[in-house]
Amino acid sequence: MLTEILIKGFWAGFAAIGFAILFNVPRRTLFPIWCIGAMGGLIKFTSMSCEISVVFASFFGAVVVGVVAIQLAHLKDSPPLIFSIPGVIPMIPGVFAYKFMLGMIALTNIENADAYLQTLIETVNNGAKMMFVLIALGTGVAIPMLLSRKESIKKSKFNKKKKAMA
Amino acid sequence: MKTLKEDAQSVGNILLEIGSLLMSSGANSNRIRVTMERIANGLGYKTELLITHRALMLTVLDKDQQYFFSRLKRTSPHGVNFRMVSGISHLSWNVLEQSWTVAQISEEISRLKALPHYPRLIILSTVGLAGSAFCRIAGGSYIEMLVTFVATVIGLFIRQEATKLKFNPYMCVYFASVTASLIAGLAEIYHIGAQPDKAFATSVLFLVPGVPLINSVTDLLEGNLQNGIIRAINGLIIAFSIAMGLFTVRMILHI
Repeated sequence: MLTEILIKGFWAGFAAIGFAILFNVPRRTLFPIWCIGAMGGLIKFTSMSCEISVVFASFFGAVVVGVVAIQLAHLKDSPPLIFSIPGVIPMIPGVFAYKFMLGMIALTNIENADAYLQTLIETVNNGAKMMFVLIALGTGVAIPMLLSRKESIKKSKFNKKKKAMA
Repeated sequence: MKTLKEDAQSVGNILLEIGSLLMSSGANSNRIRVTMERIANGLGYKTELLITHRALMLTVLDKDQQYFFSRLKRTSPHGVNFRMVSGISHLSWNVLEQSWTVAQISEEISRLKALPHYPRLIILSTVGLAGSAFCRIAGGSYIEMLVTFVATVIGLFIRQEATKLKFNPYMCVYFASVTASLIAGLAEIYHIGAQPDKAFATSVLFLVPGVPLINSVTDLLEGNLQNGIIRAINGLIIAFSIAMGLFTVRMILHI
């Protein structure tokens, strides 16, 4: 169980790296992005193995990604979105989206009422999970900036370098 | 009072250039506003700004409101480029802290524009690796991961080529989705791997509109409702194109 979580976290890092290269991030940020993706994945999969629902598990993962992204932004001198967007992409609910889409297609040509109801239930369930996981990811990443209430992270209290200069 | 070294027109033009670069590189609305205001402050001007998805409207004023300049600029829809976002962020602090001139700013911008992307082979192989990572996360084994890798690499190649041929961007996504899922679907038909449906579902994940969707939530939370809704709809159309690609392949292959 534990090794399975670790392996999934390891691969989540590579999913983040792939998207980072697609988005053409600066080269110095590549290894931090692997770490942040793996960390978000680890948090999500650990939460899920503790029987927390997939929506909240993704939210926790995204909040951690958001907070660490701000620290890394200072460390590597790049805006936080460079770390946070590739960091949450491994948590995207691809399989739910796929099942939701299949269900919607199936609903267009089922005649039997019982089968229709069964498919409808499953489709709505998958669609709701997909929607709320996406919202949780977006909100989770934005939360550190919302709580710090600063226009730029250079002015926030996370920036120890600036504070020491003042 | 600080004397103005630059005229309002050149300041306005350079600000619009920076704003449109940020918009097409995938920055959210608040970042665009803050960055443009910071640069304007560094040059001694105030700005009023309207940001929409495809155009920017800007007025720059000096403090006495004697000189002003207004212009509208269309932003071009380009690919996401975080190297540009990072470079412009550095640039804006340099303007504020080391009082750069407009000439220095435009020099830096042309340097940033000339920065290379990663080599195509590296992009293809790492995105392929990301695809197989998605497959592993969804519970696939090594054979399915290999199928996803191949499907992703060829799908992304098709998307790049379609973009070069200047197809509609949603059509590019559709073509890529069809190609990737066709390869994964053929693997399913020939019974390659124990859970071929995992490979089929994850083979198109490299197309997910991550930047539009996350920027959409950020914009909505920061009160830029119009831009947030527009970005969300853009993301939804991309997701719909992916779904149509999968649908087409399932219809062709009867799986």
